[in-house]
Amino acid sequence: MKRIVLLCAAGMSTSLLMNKMRDAAKAEGFECTIEAYPTTNASSVGKDADVILLGPQVRFELNKVKNQVSCPVDAIDMVAYGTMNGKKVLEQAKKLLGV
Amino acid sequence: MEGLELISFQIISSVGTARSFYIESIQAAKAGDFKKAESLIKEGEGYFVQGHHAHAELIQKEASGETTVMNLLLTHAEDQLMSAEAFKIIAEELLAVYRRFEEK
Repeated sequence: MKRIVLLCAAGMSTSLLMNKMRDAAKAEGFECTIEAYPTTNASSVGKDADVILLGPQVRFELNKVKNQVSCPVDAIDMVAYGTMNGKKVLEQAKKLLGV
Repeated sequence: MEGLELISFQIISSVGTARSFYIESIQAAKAGDFKKAESLIKEGEGYFVQGHHAHAELIQKEASGETTVMNLLLTHAEDQLMSAEAFKIIAEELLAVYRRFEEK
């Protein structure tokens, strides 16, 4: 099962996105775990992650996070984030996972 | 998604992106690329305005008598807005400092 990790400043706004993504994953029958954390936890939670997505407010830490983990890391599309489009962000995650 | 939740997310997403650009601008200045640093601030401003408009919508509603009920998400959005605003000032000031270093 794939493990998707979302990171933002406090883990608050991404928690809401996480719920929307879980709904989207359930709707299409994609088995995965999706969790949201603050970026300060990047190195510890990133160890077991298959893909990491960063909120727009922490996008400037993209390279730092990339250096801390071995899985693919990307910033969440700003429009998808601003509209809480769980399906679109899930698609972005799947693309990075290559599934 | 409900109206207020959506507006809050528009604010967080836009000003959050702006904040990232401002911080990247400082990083560019630190690396000595002032042209890039300036264009990153400009880019950030564009996103900040979008978030500001979303927030202004709420203020206008309130001014016309339609009160917004505060919740933690909107508080968080306003917090991000303030932080982005402050980061722009800090980025501009730091750019000037790094420029002076460069001159020496």
